[in-house]
Amino acid sequence: MSLFGAERIGCPEVLASIVFIIEDAIEQVEHPDDVRNHINLCPNCSRQLEHEQLTHTFLVDALRRACVEKAPESLYESIHSQLIGAGSATEVVTTYSMTEISIEIDEFGNVEHREVQIEETHVQHINFDDGSPKGKI
Amino acid sequence: MTSKDLVLESASDRTIRFERDALVFMDQLYAAALRYTRNPEDARDLVQDTYMKAFTSFHQFEEGTNLRAWLYRVLTTTFINSYRKKQRQPLIANNELEDWQIDQAQSHTSDLGKSAEVEALENLPDSDIKNALQELPEEFRMAVYLADVEGFSYKEIAEIVGIPAGTVMSRLHRGRKLLREKLADYARELGYSTDAADSKGTKSGTDAKEDE
Repeated sequence: MSLFGAERIGCPEVLASIVFIIEDAIEQVEHPDDVRNHINLCPNCSRQLEHEQLTHTFLVDALRRACVEKAPESLYESIHSQLIGAGSATEVVTTYSMTEISIEIDEFGNVEHREVQIEETHVQHINFDDGSPKGKI
Repeated sequence: MTSKDLVLESASDRTIRFERDALVFMDQLYAAALRYTRNPEDARDLVQDTYMKAFTSFHQFEEGTNLRAWLYRVLTTTFINSYRKKQRQPLIANNELEDWQIDQAQSHTSDLGKSAEVEALENLPDSDIKNALQELPEEFRMAVYLADVEGFSYKEIAEIVGIPAGTVMSRLHRGRKLLREKLADYARELGYSTDAADSKGTKSGTDAKEDE
């Protein structure tokens, strides 16, 4: 049987490309046209692809059905209060620091050295209104 | 507007915006956290940490871009950086990529196994499906979960997990294969006969003739 094009790559390579087809990323494989040709001409590979796609659909359905979860209500409450806390207890601390240094040398060579440190700390508490939407989202 | 005004204004707006936009994903994030950590206590903590981290860096998030993907990225990074260490889970083998190459020596499955596998997937109880997923090595579990449960594209997963797109693809391929094998094991316990379970351990050469 002459499988023009299909012979350029083998079944194993095509089968390994199936994940790319399922992810809609066939262009990412090395020879996308060869893979497509091969699948068109090779009944085993085209059947396998069909099966893989079908199984994937069922796998996705099964996983989605099994993995539905509801977060505990208490988790919502504690995140909500932590967020409000983080948002409202904002504190802006501004610290200014300045050092004044003066050095005086008199005519006898005596050195007089003075340092004055000026510090100021300004703390601003910011209390936001609890502007969060009431009730559950 | 001074820079101080900007800080004040965005902080207040941020809380409101964050609650409005981000908390709707809590159930989904909790479900993912359960599959990541495999226990409700850690899952709770992980989701809480995720929201606090996300809130702290919410100013970096651009409105209009994919908030859900961004939250999953925070969740996944937080899990990888702290919870995984805590749980001391071994990483999968370093030869991940080489295995992927070897894995190309795969073959067609027989028609008999096909319908049985699909039938088993439809009928397996949720607990078996969750257990099978839990048994996957963490890297495979995360990739399969993000793709097949959450519907993220392989490119999005690459960003969420912080790995190259090619690695995502190999993890999806191998993870799904392993998951199907595990599901087939559960299916067999329930009396289904599936090809995926039968061919386990005899990866290559079982139906080499079919390939020709």
